Amino acid sequence: MDDCAPTPPLAHPGWRALVWFGAALCYLGLVVHFVGRRPELFTTIADPRYLAEVAAMFLTSAMAAAGAFCAGCPGRAIWERFAPLPFLLIWIGALAIGCWRDRHIQGFPPFANISTIQTIAAMSIPSALAILSMARRGAPIAPMTTVGLATLAATSMSSAVHRVFIEQSMAGSAGFWPFCAVLLMSGFASLFGRRLLRWTTRDEFVATVQRPS
Amino acid sequence: MSSQHDPFAAKDDERRWRALMTSAQDGDGVAYAELLSDLLPVLHRFVRRKSRNAQDADDVVQEILVSLHTVRQTYDPRRPFTPWLMTIAARRVADAARRRYARGANEIAVDVLPETFQGDETKFEQEASDVAEDLRKALAVLPQSQREAIELIKIRGLSLEEAAEATGKSIGSLKVRVHRAIKAMRQALEQKS
Repeated sequence: MDDCAPTPPLAHPGWRALVWFGAALCYLGLVVHFVGRRPELFTTIADPRYLAEVAAMFLTSAMAAAGAFCAGCPGRAIWERFAPLPFLLIWIGALAIGCWRDRHIQGFPPFANISTIQTIAAMSIPSALAILSMARRGAPIAPMTTVGLATLAATSMSSAVHRVFIEQSMAGSAGFWPFCAVLLMSGFASLFGRRLLRWTTRDEFVATVQRPS
Repeated sequence: MSSQHDPFAAKDDERRWRALMTSAQDGDGVAYAELLSDLLPVLHRFVRRKSRNAQDADDVVQEILVSLHTVRQTYDPRRPFTPWLMTIAARRVADAARRRYARGANEIAVDVLPETFQGDETKFEQEASDVAEDLRKALAVLPQSQREAIELIKIRGLSLEEAAEATGKSIGSLKVRVHRAIKAMRQALEQKS
């Protein structure tokens, strides 16, 4: 075989997820550094519901990243792709409690915060591109799942950072639109999974092998 | 080599393939060639068992081998080889079935043709070669983009999705090109006759 250059195996999906998580956190940290954090953060953080919501968002992000990388490794267990689900459920639960508490204050749903969708989309783009470029090194076994999970990872992290630092709102229901943004974007991106992650066809492969180096 | 029902032979195969794949990842071309030739009959059996259409089994096996090559970095030597291989194979078999279904949806099977004058077997050799020559000429005068669309979709039989992937053009623009090309060719042939 002429085309048999050494190809080191990819690192463990968990390790790759950790690398991406750290890098994305650094990027969002920089954004926060320039934008500034919310002034009442330390009083808000004392609320266990709020703390559970934000922790669940970060954990959803980390687990979705790991799930996306696992989905790109053939032969791995299917359940690994569902790793973010428990944290997503905790997030939904915390959000539901927040909305229930705030229903008399703001009404439901809190349409005033709908603009957060754009903010989260803008904040997510660099980290989403980073995770997708990492996921492309894997195999397109389940492209829709991989892209959906990768986008879920990027958007839920942006959403978490948005909730912690940028949004000037004490209300629990302020998390409603960030959550919708995450679900909308992840679902929409997964529709493009097959276009973003696809197998090399025979013709492309032959052209690659025949191309003079 | 491999035995389908003997668990000891299967274990031996697994161990051997794992070692060969690990060597291939280190750049050992001989081990890689040995691995691929070992896998060829196994994949042929797998594809024939899974696929209803035995005609394109060779193509699907080739697709699997190309896929295996392009994603060989995803194999983790600490994990078993066979599930890794079979996941790729099953996915490629499913892709081939999906492609076949999409192609079949755009084709109509006709048992009895309404007329036979267009079939080559109903013509004298000279007539058939004249028609082919006219078509070739009509195709040759088409703009490059339209000719490419006709060649991919009507001659090579690719689906619109596959042709769009191959050319990087949208499905809509390919449809327009094919439509315009057929119209131009029809006009050219009418003028000729």
